[in-house]
Amino acid sequence: MDNSGKEKEAIQLMADADKKVKSSGSFLGGMFGGNQKVEEACEMYARAANMFKMAKNWSAAGNAFCQAARLHMQLQNKHDSATSYVDAGNAFKKADPHEAIKCLNASIDIYTDMGRFTIAAKHHITIAEVYESELVDIEKAIAHYEQAADYYKGEESNSSANKCLLKVASYSAQLEQYPKAIEIYEQVGSNTMDNPLLKYSAKEYFFKAALCHFIVDELNAKLAIAKYEEMFPAFSDSRECKLLKKLLEAHEEQNAEAFTEAVKEFDSISRLDQWHTTMLLRIKKTIQGDDEGDLK
Amino acid sequence: MSSDFEAYELDFGTLTAEITNKVGRIPKLAGEEKTQLVLNVDKQLEEVRELLEQMDLEVREIPIQSRGMYNSRLKSYKQEMEKLEKDFKRSRIAYSDEVRNELLGDDASSSESQRAHLLDNTERLERSSRRLEAGYQIAVETEQVGQEILANLNSDREKIQRSRDRLRETDANLGKSSRILTGMLRRIIQNRVLVFILGAIILLTIVLAIYFNLRGH
Repeated sequence: MDNSGKEKEAIQLMADADKKVKSSGSFLGGMFGGNQKVEEACEMYARAANMFKMAKNWSAAGNAFCQAARLHMQLQNKHDSATSYVDAGNAFKKADPHEAIKCLNASIDIYTDMGRFTIAAKHHITIAEVYESELVDIEKAIAHYEQAADYYKGEESNSSANKCLLKVASYSAQLEQYPKAIEIYEQVGSNTMDNPLLKYSAKEYFFKAALCHFIVDELNAKLAIAKYEEMFPAFSDSRECKLLKKLLEAHEEQNAEAFTEAVKEFDSISRLDQWHTTMLLRIKKTIQGDDEGDLK
Repeated sequence: MSSDFEAYELDFGTLTAEITNKVGRIPKLAGEEKTQLVLNVDKQLEEVRELLEQMDLEVREIPIQSRGMYNSRLKSYKQEMEKLEKDFKRSRIAYSDEVRNELLGDDASSSESQRAHLLDNTERLERSSRRLEAGYQIAVETEQVGQEILANLNSDREKIQRSRDRLRETDANLGKSSRILTGMLRRIIQNRVLVFILGAIILLTIVLAIYFNLRGH
């Protein structure tokens, strides 16, 4: 593939398309099939953008797609405009995250205008992922995930909504917004209990909710565990519940070693992932913090 | 004559007893003694065979009336001898308990072997418990993987249901649009027919006007 040749072609096409648009802007052009010219220009922009993609010139491709999208809006082709904005967003993802987010936001506005919330939700998730990975702005990511979850709930796609909510909860817990996380986990847990396919994952959610309770306040954790056992008898058999009870005991006695031992035992059977380890570490710090407080 | 036969019978009895005794002892011995004993027994078996031949000749000289009893006795002696020979052959290759003891070591080293046994058992137990733990770990991992798969299946199911609904909607919409299009087509045809009729009427009117004009002149 002669990529540099493609690029030159693409630039040429863009210039042609620009000329077409300008020519249709004048009065005479507008009278004699101006629309047709604009449509042709749109198509040319799209082709130029594809060629830029082949040459891996992502920002130029994104620009071309944006132009095409704006022209589509002029022609009142909302669908086409939105798809072009999405393409622009994808192209910009690899080059300039901010531009990508701008384009994706524009496309989301169009979709919500048209009433297609599922697709808007999907793009919210994409934006949130960009915030998560490239820009590391967790709060904005949370906001987008929440928006996506709301849209999914509105469209009765509970599983996708749950997926987004879980991400919101785990990030809020990381940012120490515990009440929100607790609420989400409990809600998801009780929802999934009814579903025969998902009830085996319910205990995982209750475990996470209990951990969050724990960090906030120990008494809360005890009440919460009792509540979950009542709601969900199988929970009390699980190893996670036993671990929680041991941790509660260790916390009461302010015994950091027993705590560490219990955690190590659990870890030897099934590895604890990053989120869990962070939460448990925080709990452990509260124990040790209390210890030092006593010593003083 | 019969006293000879009885003398032979007595000899036969003693010889077979001796042979049985020696045959019993052979498996327990080994090496020199064994070969000696084997030769001994061989010689005695030869003697027994000669005795039997002589008993046979004796029986033939006895008058025919009382021969039956002696014949049957002779037969039983012959069978006994054959059995002895079989035993003898078997004993030469038989095993005995002594040999086993020699092979597996004697009681002086049993305490050592017991300790080794115990250590072996402990190690086996440890290995089994390690394997059980590994198995448990794998089971837990499998459960987690299963949970994830179930969640995925659930979301896929919802997606499929949504797609099906959308498909039905699209189908209905397509039906509607095709009906609208046929309606449009009909109207176009109607319009065209109307235009032709009107055109024809106008043409007719023009022709009539010209005609009346010319007639008027």
